[in-house]
Amino acid sequence: MLNRDRSDHALPTLITLLVVGILLMTFDVRLQGGGVVGVMRSGTQTIVSPIQQAASIVVNPVADMIDSLSNVASLREQNVALSAELAEAQAEIVAVQDQIARLELLEQLYSLDIDAEEIGRTVANVIGRPDAFDDAIIIDKGTRDGVVVGQPVIDTNGYVVGRVRSAAPGTATIVPITVSRSGVAVLVGTQVGQLTTQLFTSDMRLDIIVAREPVLAMARVVTSSASSAFPAGLGVGEILHDANPQNGSLTAQVRPFVDPDTLRLVVVLAWPPDPISGVAGDTIPVEEATTTTTLPEGSTTISTVEDVS
Amino acid sequence: MRLRRVLVVVFVILAAIVIQTTLFGRVRVVTPDLVMLVSILFALTRLRTEAVLGLAFVSGLVIDLLGSSLLGLRAIVFTVVAYLAIRTRERAEIGRLATALWVGVLTFVGVVLLVLIGTLFGEAILLGDGALGQLLLVPLTNMVIAALLAPTFVRLVDGDRTSFRYA
Repeated sequence: MLNRDRSDHALPTLITLLVVGILLMTFDVRLQGGGVVGVMRSGTQTIVSPIQQAASIVVNPVADMIDSLSNVASLREQNVALSAELAEAQAEIVAVQDQIARLELLEQLYSLDIDAEEIGRTVANVIGRPDAFDDAIIIDKGTRDGVVVGQPVIDTNGYVVGRVRSAAPGTATIVPITVSRSGVAVLVGTQVGQLTTQLFTSDMRLDIIVAREPVLAMARVVTSSASSAFPAGLGVGEILHDANPQNGSLTAQVRPFVDPDTLRLVVVLAWPPDPISGVAGDTIPVEEATTTTTLPEGSTTISTVEDVS
Repeated sequence: MRLRRVLVVVFVILAAIVIQTTLFGRVRVVTPDLVMLVSILFALTRLRTEAVLGLAFVSGLVIDLLGSSLLGLRAIVFTVVAYLAIRTRERAEIGRLATALWVGVLTFVGVVLLVLIGTLFGEAILLGDGALGQLLLVPLTNMVIAALLAPTFVRLVDGDRTSFRYA
């Protein structure tokens, strides 16, 4: 038996800490993760991130080895499927190259000046997650690399992953759309809807308030130009089952293209390129809320409009 | 002696946080909650009860700050679990199996509290794909780790090789 301290101040200490904890939760809810709470988050990340990055150098090979051992069977199947996809993609590339050459020739002939905005991309490694119940992703790029809170994140195939929740100089935390409290404004065919999370599943719920036509299984769901959180046209997922409008509205299940658990690399988009004019012009039937994002360099504060579920 | 113990405690918490967020953040097959485990095992050491509760609170708060869920959620849950651990620690000293079961039950209480309080505060992130499976997997994994490492952990923190020997 151990000789321990027997003075019993445990209960008063517990009550005090519970009160402090509830106060912190209240602050976080009221400040919506910003203000003092945001500063505390980035401060803690700043302290811990160098150790996390150093640890990830050792951990990543070990994690990769364990992953490969546990996924050998599925990796073989994936390999066969990917080989087939690669062959198709190579055939498409040949066709597209021909079209690009034709387009360039036409542009030269008509002296066209394409007004395309280049979106900055920061490729980052996934170095971990907070714990078993938090599906947020920690990446090895932060404010030092131009990563800013609120920026959209995609995978290497260009599919939507989520948004930057907090950023420190060396790391950032990403909240995937599959667990985010915010909805995503999406487009299915010509219909605009809102994609939200569901409990105990990674499938998402699509609500189209003004539905004119049914949506069919396998239909592609992409981000809408009405979304201020993501650039338009990024793949989000596909419809699982056919759904018909009922009383003018429609609800369907969507399987996201990205499984956050399998991500090793992500791409953070510097979007909108011009935050002031980057806000979408057309309207959609979603609520809107104003949030503030602070840029790391130049100390410029910007306001964006965020999709809210 | 006092400084040594402080350094050991800080090192243990930091190591648990880093291993949890990097190694076990990548390997989803094995899913312990190392920081909760450390908060529970501190109750078996000779640290003051107030210090055990304070350490549990701070450890939970750091995980909250590194993650995306509500600030204070894990701080509250880890503190409650540490309090239950302090009140029931005599049951863990019978033998290795008892220690493992004690840790498993306390971890299960912790993860259920985490999901319940999180849900009350609208934390959808705690109820994602596979959350129900994690409710069992996390306590089971913590049980195994506790069975293997609990005595070593207590001796390391107490700085006493004779500490925490099963009867």
